[in-house]
Amino acid sequence: MTTCAHQRFGRAGAWFRAALIAAVTLAAMPVAGAEEAVAWLGRAAAAAQQQNYVGTIVYQHGGHVETSRLVHLFEHGSEFEKLVNLEGPAREVVRSNGEVRCYYPDARIVRVEPRTFRNAFPSLSPQQQAALANYYDFRMAERGRVAGIETQAWVFEPKDGLRYGHKFWADPVSGLLVKARIFDERNEVVEQFAFTEISIGLRIDRELVKPTWPVAPPGWQVRQSGPGESEPKETGWTVSRLPPGFLKIVDGFRRLHGKQEVAHLVYSDGLVAVSVFIEPVGSAPHPVGMSRQGGINVVIRQQDGNLVTVLGEVPAATVRQIAHSVTRR
Amino acid sequence: MGEQISRLMDGELEGAEADAAFRELKGPDGVASWVCYHVIADTLRRCGEPTPGFAERFSARLEAEPTVLAPRPMRAPGLPLVWAAAASVAAVLVVGSVAVSTLDPQPTVIAKAREANAVRTAQVRPQPVSPDYLLAHQEYSPTTQIQGVGPYLRAVAAGGTDGRP
Repeated sequence: MTTCAHQRFGRAGAWFRAALIAAVTLAAMPVAGAEEAVAWLGRAAAAAQQQNYVGTIVYQHGGHVETSRLVHLFEHGSEFEKLVNLEGPAREVVRSNGEVRCYYPDARIVRVEPRTFRNAFPSLSPQQQAALANYYDFRMAERGRVAGIETQAWVFEPKDGLRYGHKFWADPVSGLLVKARIFDERNEVVEQFAFTEISIGLRIDRELVKPTWPVAPPGWQVRQSGPGESEPKETGWTVSRLPPGFLKIVDGFRRLHGKQEVAHLVYSDGLVAVSVFIEPVGSAPHPVGMSRQGGINVVIRQQDGNLVTVLGEVPAATVRQIAHSVTRR
Repeated sequence: MGEQISRLMDGELEGAEADAAFRELKGPDGVASWVCYHVIADTLRRCGEPTPGFAERFSARLEAEPTVLAPRPMRAPGLPLVWAAAASVAAVLVVGSVAVSTLDPQPTVIAKAREANAVRTAQVRPQPVSPDYLLAHQEYSPTTQIQGVGPYLRAVAAGGTDGRP
């Protein structure tokens, strides 16, 4: 049969066959193993943390496009970072001394979020590694230029409809990600972060990563979150119908901007996370419903005097399933 | 009583709860509630009512559409013709009864819907989540660890939180 086709089409047939083999090979690009996925994630996390870089980052979600300037410095084992948006009200995010501060000059608010988890990431638990392998295919994709850099793209393709797909473009030299995309089951882009230009491995002056307001100006409101899992304890809450592959990584109380204690549970499949917040609010009606912000879906419900807020970088159905099965243990 | 139907429309019901809501839909006021809540939802989304002459224009355009000549699809195996036919008839009945109610809305139902609208607005509108929650979540998300501070843009995005920090 093949011979026959070859004879009939001659050189064109040979070319066609070669192209077909190439196409089949590409489509069947070997799925990398769990160890490779974990090693790749670890390298990307280390690069994001330990490289010096400066660039312009574009965040696209829904119909919105927002451009920001990012400066990242790693010095004496510590990270310093400053992100300033270039459009609309000037807001900035500054990371230093183990905490993240978000400045909203338009609303005269500073939010302070303690940082505790970041350094722990490259070591995923064996269960999380298994979840990563069981629920995503990790594979190498194409090479191509992004932000002037010859990048290598990698894809985490979900094996079920309960999670999104993720594609990352990395600088092969430093391992740093220069573009990240979340896509849904119809292959439509849900959200994208991309550098339009970036300089990696340069010397950076400490001045460039200092906040515009070293001290909150008078009249500003400082909203300090209490430390999260520093005192892990059982909240007594659980999710009865947890989507497969998600494992509890945090169970504790935290104080958000001076409010009473809020129970915070986090479930992760090794790549993304879903947070469950349970806040006692009494019987007075609170606004409830669903919303979406880029790759994050949110469901807010009122249940037996508690406000249950569930959010994460997963499809709405996954968030809804979790939100509707939050129960007392 | 209509609350379950409203929640069903919002996609909040599953399993037994959803079954109960479907039973309610078949009840005496089921379809009226269904129409009522859709009027509420349309008003909230500012869809408004179709412009005058919509039906005529739609019919004219439908008439003008070319007839598509396509190969007859293979019938899915396993579903005997008689059941397929029965299902079609049932579908027509359901669509028919909904259509009748929609075309002939009892004025009181619509008036009630509009009245309820004002009360329900705060509850039905999609709720922007507090940046406090977004920030608290961000630190635990593994993808944040590989993207650095980029994902924090979600918490400070101007368009994302309705501009409400």
